[in-house]
Amino acid sequence: MSTVGQRSPEAATSRWRAGSLSGLLLALSVLVAAWWLPVASAAAEPPLEMGIFPRRHATLTNELHAPLADYLSRELGREVRLVTARDFDAFWAGVEQAQFDIVHYNQFHYVRSSDRYRVIAHNKEFGSGVVAGAIYVRKDSGITNLAQLRGRTIVFGGGRDAMMSYILPSYLLLQAGLQPDDYEAVFSRNPPNSLIALYYKQVDASGAGDILIDLPVVREAIDPDTLMHLSVTEPVLHLPWAVRNDMPESLSRRIQALLVGLETHEEGRAILKRAQMTGFGAAEDADYDPHRRIIEQVVPAAEAPR
Amino acid sequence: MRLATRFVLIVVGILSVTLAINTYFFLRSQGMTLEQQLTERGRVVGHLIALISPEAILAFDFLTLNEYAREVSLLRDVVYGVIVDNDGKPLTSFVNGSDQHNRASLDGLEAGSNSVDPRALQTLLQRLADHPDVIPMDFPIIYEDRTLAHLRVGISRAELKAQADEQLVQQFAIYAIIIAFLSTAIYLVFRCSVMRRLEQLIEASRHIGRGEFKQVRVSSRDELGQLAEAFNAMATAIADEQAKLHYQANYDALTAQPNRHLAIERLKQEIRSAHRHRHRFALMFIDLNDFKVVNDTLGHATGDLLLKLVSGRLRTQLREEDTLARLGGDEFLVLLPRTGDAAKVKDVADRLLAATSEPTLLSGREVVVHSSIGIALYPDDGETVESLMANADNAMYQAKRHGRSSICFFTQQMNAQVRERLQLEQDLNKVLARNELYAVYQPICRCADGAYAGAEVLLRWEHPERGPINPAMFIPLAESTGQIVDIGNWVLCRAARQLRRWLDQGLAPGHLAVNLSRVQLLEGLEQTLDQILRDHDLPPRMLELEITENVLLDDHYQVADVLARLRAMGISFSLDDFGTGYSSLSYLRRFSFDTLKIDRSFIAPLCDDPEAAVLVRTIIAMAHSLSLAVVAEGVETHTQLELLRELDCDYVQGYLISPPLCEDEFAELLVRLAGGTKAAAAIQVSRNG
Repeated sequence: MSTVGQRSPEAATSRWRAGSLSGLLLALSVLVAAWWLPVASAAAEPPLEMGIFPRRHATLTNELHAPLADYLSRELGREVRLVTARDFDAFWAGVEQAQFDIVHYNQFHYVRSSDRYRVIAHNKEFGSGVVAGAIYVRKDSGITNLAQLRGRTIVFGGGRDAMMSYILPSYLLLQAGLQPDDYEAVFSRNPPNSLIALYYKQVDASGAGDILIDLPVVREAIDPDTLMHLSVTEPVLHLPWAVRNDMPESLSRRIQALLVGLETHEEGRAILKRAQMTGFGAAEDADYDPHRRIIEQVVPAAEAPR
Repeated sequence: MRLATRFVLIVVGILSVTLAINTYFFLRSQGMTLEQQLTERGRVVGHLIALISPEAILAFDFLTLNEYAREVSLLRDVVYGVIVDNDGKPLTSFVNGSDQHNRASLDGLEAGSNSVDPRALQTLLQRLADHPDVIPMDFPIIYEDRTLAHLRVGISRAELKAQADEQLVQQFAIYAIIIAFLSTAIYLVFRCSVMRRLEQLIEASRHIGRGEFKQVRVSSRDELGQLAEAFNAMATAIADEQAKLHYQANYDALTAQPNRHLAIERLKQEIRSAHRHRHRFALMFIDLNDFKVVNDTLGHATGDLLLKLVSGRLRTQLREEDTLARLGGDEFLVLLPRTGDAAKVKDVADRLLAATSEPTLLSGREVVVHSSIGIALYPDDGETVESLMANADNAMYQAKRHGRSSICFFTQQMNAQVRERLQLEQDLNKVLARNELYAVYQPICRCADGAYAGAEVLLRWEHPERGPINPAMFIPLAESTGQIVDIGNWVLCRAARQLRRWLDQGLAPGHLAVNLSRVQLLEGLEQTLDQILRDHDLPPRMLELEITENVLLDDHYQVADVLARLRAMGISFSLDDFGTGYSSLSYLRRFSFDTLKIDRSFIAPLCDDPEAAVLVRTIIAMAHSLSLAVVAEGVETHTQLELLRELDCDYVQGYLISPPLCEDEFAELLVRLAGGTKAAAAIQVSRNG
């Protein structure tokens, strides 16, 4: 809104200098109309639905991302409605039916829905826009390479659609020559629990994001010094933000610009902090090709996220 | 400690013990109930958590498990809530760092800390498992009959204990108030219903102790009322008894007049009064003369009657404020307050003498009793009880010496006599040890022809400072002090020894007559005599014992028995100084005498007084009629001797025959007698006289 307000007085002044009263009046009329009409047009458009995958509880999700939705609504001049799903299936149904205008999910979800959505941005957390998957073991376990995990129990945080906690670590295991049948895979409710389970010696190894061990929730629950990274994947881009394919390019660019520009001003940093992020990076579909490559090896093509 | 205090202390003690026991069981029961409630609450929570935990365990949701542990641990009274696997290894890390048990059991655990590593947590569980304030509970987490893990909960008894302590304090405070209230109430009731009445009894007892007999008010019929009644009865009995004792202690039972004790008290009182008011008063000692004769001849009952009569008469002659007291025997005391004039005192004494001298009809016989009165005046003759009584006694003694019915005021000279007597008494103690006594022998001859018959042994005392002491002075003194026994025995031994010596010399000493004291008679005389006779191998007939009538006055039967036994031994007796005493013919009849000795007071006027001659003749005739030989004592002239021959007197003794001779002189006499004829010996004796 503030950008539209600055442009209008400059036009009026140039016309005044031309000395034509009628032209001036016409110009003023046109300018007023030009200023008013787009706003009226945007307000008349349906709200943009922003879907967030149920990585967290709905209330927490709403608490974290509501400021961002408000900000986008204000900047776009169009309501951005935050949509939380009661569970993942409901969310994924929304994705498949392209109900969301803007969607935030993990890399696997994006790869599986890239026919309907196109990525415009990715998360920056802890100052980094990339993440890696890792296999953790206890330092006192005596395990020093992935091959020693054969026949062992490995816990993965979340489920089989978890990019960092399952797909990337599984990729590491595949790389090491361990097929899924060579170890017992168990799943914890969420990634932090996978490290905690390892800490309590309930499993032999844990698959999770490489930065998971630095998260406060983990550091508060266990002594991270007792664990170590056994193996870490190549860094891949962080969680994506995508828009529906049919979204006008101008709007998607506008949204991308708004997201990426958040870290440049105070209000944006506050919004990011609330969302437990440090920023947004601009992304395009090709940036997720590494993910596609890994996913293709780990997850059968027909398998959809669950 | 006071009775009320002790009673209250006992009540407090009983209440305290009772309430303490009650408190103990109450708190114990309450503690058990609270502990049951506590464990039940823990069980409910434990079961609930155990119920919802399987899903989290199966989903490896340790954060949720830790949340469960946190929720349990932060519950009231919960020390810890930890989920452990089947090996006992913790699966949660939450620990309530605010709990003091945890901090105390785990070093380094701070108040704000909420997470510890499994090893530390395991240590904590082990330590708290044995903690007395922590109740450990275990709840298995089961899923489809498979035990996944255990929830271990530690319930703190601290709150329970705090509640118990608070309850104890409250109970204590309540019971303290109850005890204080009950004790005060009991004390007040006890004080009003018991102590006050007991104090009345105590006060009354103290009054009794002071001689004040007050009755206690009987206000109830209970035990205390009965005690008060019994106390009153006792007080009355004591009062009666005390009055009786007081009367017995202060009054003479026979005459109903004050006794010596009360007399002395009144005398003390009078001395104080007289001293304070500068008055004078008189003290009299009255002694009935020859009262023993009345007792002896008319019996003690009559003697007592006489004392009562005399007492009554004396009382009638005195003022109300005067005191008449019987000191003992026939001795009376009269105290005349505010009567210091000698003439007035003399008048009173005269009236008292006259009163006692009135003839009295006793046992059908008219008896006239005379008395002697000694008077001491305050303050001239003494200012103390002792001095006044001693001086009045001295004066009475002097009056008695003067003869019948005499009055004697005390003089300082009497004291000198008393002192002299005392000194003599002390000297008499040493007389035997100092060998100051000696015996003299006065011959007794036959009246008809002057033939020597025997001698009377007479005792002499040669005082180293005062020279010869008259036997009439020291013999009564020795009798009064009891020394006469030793002295008499010495005389007997001396006489026996001389007899034996003279017999051994071939002389004929005849019999020796030894005077015998009444005291001596009652002190084992038989054994003494028997021993002496055996020691000196003397026939008993050679000893004759002379006794006076007063010896016979004491105890007829005992004396008669002794005399009879001595007589059985062969010893003869003579009645000495006949006529000076009571001259009771009953004595002559009752006791067996061999000889009767007529006192010199009858012999002296023999030639000048026809009546004396008649009297002597009568005595001789009477004695002869009783088969008694007669010895006339104090024969000093030939005329007397001749007259006595005419009167058929058997023996004579006196200076005409011979004065008392010392042992050597008497031995010479015996030698001379042994060398001449009987007639010549008799003439010789007469000439020597």
